[in-house]
Amino acid sequence: MNTPLVTRGDWLVLGASLLLLAWLYATLWSSGGETGGQLHILVDGRELPPISLQQERTLAIDGSIGTSTLRIENGRVRFLSSPCPGQQCVHTGWLSHGGEFAACLPNRIALQIGGDEGRFDTINF
Amino acid sequence: MKMLRRSLLLLLLLPGLISCGGSQPSLHRAQLLSLGTLVDVSLWGASPRQITEAERIIQEELDRIHTTLHAWQPGPLMEVNRRLAEGSWFHCPPEILPLIEQGKRLYRSSGGLFNPAMGRLVGLWGFHSDDLPGGPPPSADEIDRFLANLPGMEAIEIKGEQIRGTNPALQLDFGAFAKGYAVDRIIERLRSIGIRNAIVNAGGDLRAIGRHGERAWRIGIRQPRGEGVLASLELGEDESVFTSGDYERFYIYQGKRYHHILDPRTGAPARGASSVTVVHREAAEADAAATALFVAGPQGWQDVARRMGIEQVMLVDDKGNVWMTPAMAARIRFETAQKPRVTISEQP
Repeated sequence: MNTPLVTRGDWLVLGASLLLLAWLYATLWSSGGETGGQLHILVDGRELPPISLQQERTLAIDGSIGTSTLRIENGRVRFLSSPCPGQQCVHTGWLSHGGEFAACLPNRIALQIGGDEGRFDTINF
Repeated sequence: MKMLRRSLLLLLLLPGLISCGGSQPSLHRAQLLSLGTLVDVSLWGASPRQITEAERIIQEELDRIHTTLHAWQPGPLMEVNRRLAEGSWFHCPPEILPLIEQGKRLYRSSGGLFNPAMGRLVGLWGFHSDDLPGGPPPSADEIDRFLANLPGMEAIEIKGEQIRGTNPALQLDFGAFAKGYAVDRIIERLRSIGIRNAIVNAGGDLRAIGRHGERAWRIGIRQPRGEGVLASLELGEDESVFTSGDYERFYIYQGKRYHHILDPRTGAPARGASSVTVVHREAAEADAAATALFVAGPQGWQDVARRMGIEQVMLVDDKGNVWMTPAMAARIRFETAQKPRVTISEQP
């Protein structure tokens, strides 16, 4: 008896495999954590409630020597101004990926973007 | 076509296997604001008890180093400096002696470019202060007087636990490798409580052991000028990454930048480099080498790296050009939209 080389069942298998592949790609690769979602702020060793990076806003945070201003827009955050002499925190610029952090040591304020799968585990400078 | 059917079965099983496997990543990350330094610590696969203990160890070591080695506040190092200036033999506190011994070795291997004996010069430039100075810089006369009798680490003699100074201008300042020394001690103590996978990043300089689960730890190196990350690399099982940069402590006086990395040959801030990154196993050596290579600058860094046995170096000069050893070039990945001009040295 002659059976076709590729049966209906085989097409079904192929179709299911392709669907599965698409699902695997969507769940395992496309959400690779390229941008972080939550901002963690540490003030003098205490952590404030996490803040979403999706909502555009400017925050004023009181630290040890004065007020630091943070700007959140387009899923990223930066120190806009700080009362410290060195201004290293301001020069750090935008943080946008999970795991990135910046700090104003004199004012004892540290920022970190949450997310385990950021591009970098830590930053050297 | 049986093959195709079997593969369907495998594919259907796959998501189940994946979700059983890595659904509970056990990364613990914390920032500790210790005296003068922000410490970013990452631990992979540590138990809650180990995490608590690790944070205690880190806090303790940094506080200890800060109080023992503070260069301009009353404490053990200031007392040692006072007695070294007197010139007679005295008993060196056991927490400072190993630093002097290691400092002497690194001073010799760097040809004197790493010189923790010239604390007086650091003070002269105004960097012995919690606040940054605003200038003016010291006069040429003041610098010349200091250089005429430049103290080096050979001006400390050691006999057992006794030491003495032979140059009254000598004043120890371990700013260029205290952080590395502390990071080495922290990693040693973390290992002793069974932690196998960790990064301890003290104010931008770090040592990493083990891995982040199934993959290596990934490090970004910040741009010395401008914003964001210049380059990245994946670390081996036990490596330190230290960067010395002219952006860390500096002041601008009459439009000119004066930073804290001083050249013992000129008595002034070293010119030519913006940053030097060193990858090496021990953090203390990486720390001292980054300083010495920064001082050596784009012309002299290769000789100093060879003398110090440092194989992985990346120097960014004051024009933004990158200089690297072959070993560093083989693993570094640039993260900038436009790749900088890179020169790779011929010899490691």
